[in-house]
Amino acid sequence: MRHIRRVFVANRGEIAVRIIHACRKIGVETVIGVSTADRESLGARLADRAVCIGPPASVSSYLNKDALVQAALSTGCDAVHPGYGFLAENSAFARLCTDNGLRFIGPSAEAIEAMGDKINAIAAAKKAGVPTVPGSDHVMRVADALATAARIGYPFLFKARAGGGGRGMRIVRAENEVEEAFNGATMEARAAFGNDALYIEKYVESARHIEIQVLGDQHGNVVHLGERDCSVQRRHQKLIEESPSPAVTPQIRDAMSSAAVRLAQDQSYVGAGTVEFIFDSATREFYFLEMNTRVQVEHPVTEMVTGTDIVAEQVRIADGDEVAIGRGPLRLDGHAIECRINAEMPEAGFRPSPGRIDEWDAPVGEGVRVDTHCFPGYFVPPFYDSMIAKVIVHGRDRPDAVRRMDQALSRLRISGIATTAAFHRAVIAHPDFQQGRVTTDWLERRFMPGYAPPQRSEAAA
Amino acid sequence: MTKETGTGLTQDDVERILRLIDESGYDEVRIEYGDLKVHVRRHGAIGEASGAQTPAAPPPPAPSAPPPSASAPAPQQRATPKPAAIPEGLVAIRAPMLGTFYRAPSPGAPPFVEEGAVISADAPVCIIEVMKLFNTLKAGTSGKVVRFLVENGAMVEFDQPLLLVDPRAAG
Repeated sequence: MRHIRRVFVANRGEIAVRIIHACRKIGVETVIGVSTADRESLGARLADRAVCIGPPASVSSYLNKDALVQAALSTGCDAVHPGYGFLAENSAFARLCTDNGLRFIGPSAEAIEAMGDKINAIAAAKKAGVPTVPGSDHVMRVADALATAARIGYPFLFKARAGGGGRGMRIVRAENEVEEAFNGATMEARAAFGNDALYIEKYVESARHIEIQVLGDQHGNVVHLGERDCSVQRRHQKLIEESPSPAVTPQIRDAMSSAAVRLAQDQSYVGAGTVEFIFDSATREFYFLEMNTRVQVEHPVTEMVTGTDIVAEQVRIADGDEVAIGRGPLRLDGHAIECRINAEMPEAGFRPSPGRIDEWDAPVGEGVRVDTHCFPGYFVPPFYDSMIAKVIVHGRDRPDAVRRMDQALSRLRISGIATTAAFHRAVIAHPDFQQGRVTTDWLERRFMPGYAPPQRSEAAA
Repeated sequence: MTKETGTGLTQDDVERILRLIDESGYDEVRIEYGDLKVHVRRHGAIGEASGAQTPAAPPPPAPSAPPPSASAPAPQQRATPKPAAIPEGLVAIRAPMLGTFYRAPSPGAPPFVEEGAVISADAPVCIIEVMKLFNTLKAGTSGKVVRFLVENGAMVEFDQPLLLVDPRAAG
């Protein structure tokens, strides 16, 4: 098999920059496809070559499979890295790449499909002996839902079979809410995914979101790199992630990671993947949620505590190499935390705040890493998601990491646009966060009601 | 009667392919299917002359500037697609999509338009191929074709100027 010499980056923003750096490190050239809005982006400047693939609207550029593959072929690339989001979990895109002789840096189209169908994924998890949330297969009628509810009890969740991102999802707390929630979730799922099939899952209150990073290679090896705790969420969107989890003991880690590895092995999984669980703090039980068949936004916290480069590893695996890391007993070194900094105004309902960045000064120093595509004078376009940077810190233990994060955030100076940096400082200063007592509903139910935006009022006074 | 040709293609398939080629209006067609390679050329057509529709060797990427370090993310300008300066009074016809640029309707055929020609707004000026789909681009503006900015067979990016038209010279 010919070696990968030139990778086409089919993404934008910080992950495009991350992929370019990883490729350069292992001596692989990069070509990036950019929309007209991203011609002056950092990714376009760092890549060996940038080609304009379409107008700003994602559907005509970053989601335009034909243009991306054509661009990769025309520029002599031999592989495509899809990053996360956009086409990263689109099996048709993976297939189009391989059909045209390009290696898709990710799992096979079949594995993407198998895990993308959530009911199918749950069945695969059960088959692999992975605990799943009590629930149902496809519910077609309200009567089916009522029967399932009688068996598993309230509250429960309606979820979309093709789901993700909280769309087509409803919490049902009592029998008289079933019909309305069923109809609402059906409509939302149809609109979001073109597939209105729903299933039911028992709703675990006070749950943590914990996920296991796995890597599989083409030789049948599957390894794990420990867990990430992503319980600080707003509207099912992760804001802060850390590794290791303050709630996970070595025994739980062993059980969770061997479950994740079994599932990946059953899929003959190749590449980086993440098996997500909910963890019931009260009973210490964990249940399979879903498997993501891509590199995750929060992969750096795992890199910090395991000393790995997951993106470079993805490229090597696609090139036929055996996974070189995580083969022995896992050693987690210290503690890492990541804050996702968005161009948003927390005090205005997290309204996006795109525009020109005047001042951009990111913290540097030992144990501090900032993954970003921003620089002074960069214009944050209004067409894409609002994440502008990931601030990642590494400390010898959790309190040390929290301290470093506070310092790093205080040294992050951005003007010209609003950001969530100050909001993050307030979250990590909260006693519940510092004591590691956060569940996925905590931010909205406990933290937000008491949150007062810091500087604004002072500045006005 | 169907007969296997040893490639998974039946005689019927081959005849159908030849019929399609015949009706296509192209002077030269290459088909690759597994190990099978078919190369059909109408008599009189000059092979390999213009539109080399077989992929060329990978073009080298543009030379890279030294990477700025992560701690100083303020890179110098480098070869991102920069809008070329359009001479005053001229109109650039731009690529509506990324793809491969062809000046002629088929390999070996004369170009749609030559430099110096006066064209109407609905005159076809080139083809842009994306994943085997051939899109004919119309001028969109009338005038005299001053200059083509792109070589036949080259990859063009979205929004890239392809040719310059002088609208004052409209017939």
